[in-house]
Amino acid sequence: MYRWVLALRYLVSRRVTLIAVLVVALCVFVVFVVMTVMNGLVGQFKERTHSFVGDCVVATESMVGFPYYDRFMDVLRSEPMVDSVSPVIRTYGLVALAGRQDAVGIEIMGIEPNSHFTVTGLGQGLHLHRDDPQTAFCSQADPNIPGCILGIDLVLNRDSSGEYDYRWLPLKATYDISCFPLTARGALERIGTGYVNTKRFGFSDVSHTGLAREDGGLIYVHFDQLQGLCGMSRPPARATAIHIRFKPKVSLQHGTRQVEGLWDRFAKDCQGMPQADLLGLVRVQDWKTYRKSTIAPMEKEQIAMIVMFILVATTAVSIVLVVFYMIVSSKTRDIGILKAVGESFWGVIGLVVNFALLIGLVSAFLGVLAGWLFLRYINQIEGWLFARFGFQLWDRTIFSIGQIPNQIQMGVVAVIVMCALLVCLTGCLLPAIRAARTQPVDTLRASPI
Amino acid sequence: MNCDGSAILSAQGLVKSYWLGTTQVPVLRGVNLDLARGEFLAILGASGSGKSTLLHILGGLDRPDKGRVLFNGNDISSFTARQLNDYRNRRVGFVFQFYHLLDELDVLENVYLPAMIGKGLVGWLTHKRTAVQRALELIDQVGLGHRIHHRPWQLSGGERQRVAIARALMNKPDLLLADEPTGNLDWATGQGILALFGALHRSGQTIVMVTHDQRVASQATRTVFLADGQVQPGHTNPSSSNNSKIG
Repeated sequence: MYRWVLALRYLVSRRVTLIAVLVVALCVFVVFVVMTVMNGLVGQFKERTHSFVGDCVVATESMVGFPYYDRFMDVLRSEPMVDSVSPVIRTYGLVALAGRQDAVGIEIMGIEPNSHFTVTGLGQGLHLHRDDPQTAFCSQADPNIPGCILGIDLVLNRDSSGEYDYRWLPLKATYDISCFPLTARGALERIGTGYVNTKRFGFSDVSHTGLAREDGGLIYVHFDQLQGLCGMSRPPARATAIHIRFKPKVSLQHGTRQVEGLWDRFAKDCQGMPQADLLGLVRVQDWKTYRKSTIAPMEKEQIAMIVMFILVATTAVSIVLVVFYMIVSSKTRDIGILKAVGESFWGVIGLVVNFALLIGLVSAFLGVLAGWLFLRYINQIEGWLFARFGFQLWDRTIFSIGQIPNQIQMGVVAVIVMCALLVCLTGCLLPAIRAARTQPVDTLRASPI
Repeated sequence: MNCDGSAILSAQGLVKSYWLGTTQVPVLRGVNLDLARGEFLAILGASGSGKSTLLHILGGLDRPDKGRVLFNGNDISSFTARQLNDYRNRRVGFVFQFYHLLDELDVLENVYLPAMIGKGLVGWLTHKRTAVQRALELIDQVGLGHRIHHRPWQLSGGERQRVAIARALMNKPDLLLADEPTGNLDWATGQGILALFGALHRSGQTIVMVTHDQRVASQATRTVFLADGQVQPGHTNPSSSNNSKIG
């Protein structure tokens, strides 16, 4: 117990320990703030992706799609673990304002609003139909033509605060959407006199998913409309994906495995039926695997960040080691005294370790406190910096980020505090051994003889 | 004097040398010494004669190149690390020329430090009350009752040495070893310290004191001379002064 008392006295009486405390506290502060913000951003991104996709996807990469999706949906609906299912067609086409020739390439998604807004959170991102998603594909301009929903960044710009000005919604706009129907073998299919199928849609709403690719390059139309445009409605009708939402207590892995088993049996049962070979291209994936191409870069950034923090921690360890060496060197006489009055090798180690733990605890407390205060006011600080100097951490006109995430996760705090203690313990290890090996007579005698 | 004639400590053929660069300097060349329980022995010698080295070896702070030290018949060089720590902590009390107090602790804490060595939280809670009580008594007896919460740097040299003596006595050691205890003090202050040693001796404390000062050595009941790395024939002093009681 005296070791804690002595360690505490060393802490408050030695100015050099302040350097160690400040270094570790600064590291804790930086790691805490950056990890909280990064975890918030990655978490937000994953949440939005999950919300956009649902829990599980039965999909093919092929634009041809796969048949008998409706039958498999019936199989899924009869499963107690499945909450809801929705057929989807995802394809590419051309879109142009009605009557104009400047068509641009675009990704088009066909969904059934009734089912899709139950499976996914897409309905919550609508602006005009958030409370009534069933009428999402009713054209604003002309009730006689079908409506389409546009990714919000296709029609509105974000201002510097990340907000959209909805007064500029193109409520009267109509669009000509052209698709290229494919046969079941993947060849272009002639429709009438050409290979292009064009239909006029009226603007019905915008969708704000918070995902840059979807908000900036995706148009949603009714599933039946797109199926017709793509020539996929002729029997056996085709879709490119089925999105599934599981019941609340069903785990992602378990649910996906179950669906996989169901699909394998279903595909086997369909053998010999027309276009059944297309079923072989279908994969069953949970939402994370389905979207790994977009999630992976974020996760790589997280790994890069962790590597960076390891470098930060190594620097901190080095500084703590140097500081401890300085302290131990200046305290060899004390160590000699302690050993002269009977302190053991491990007792001296314990004293230095206690000292290191105290530095770690104080530093972690200061770092977390400073980090907590900074995170609490991070958006106000950024707002002030923007108003005063025009500086923004992320340009809101470019990045789909609203507020900087500052939700503190206690798990992160616990890990950082443990790491701070570990850094101090690692840094003190060599000096502690050196101190413990000190021979009392070497430090206490007035002269060598 | 309270000497019962039984040997508490016996040094047999102690040899010790130091390396100064590439030169080996012999310091002790076969020291033989017996110390009776309750004896107050002064080891007298010139600077560099190896007095302190001998005392460190007797106290278990250093090891001889050859020879052995028997404490109550047990060879301390065969002690395990744990036994050696226990020997330093409970059997021997050390008083150094330069006091060697911990600046971060106050007088009271410095004195009860040896009683707290090796005690965990439970040991601390169990023993603190007794230890503090004992430390307060000792501090009172060395005349520093009004200084218990002062730090070492707030005390005079004589006061620091009194604190060091109180600390050395904290665990009621069998043997008190003093290395030039008055060497850093003026004569009058040194006399006060010697008076304390005299009182300790009369209360039965076995003491070994090294000094280069004949007048200081005369306070002991027996003096031996250390010269050329060996103990020369000594003599018994008639008496020691001071009647104050301590321990």
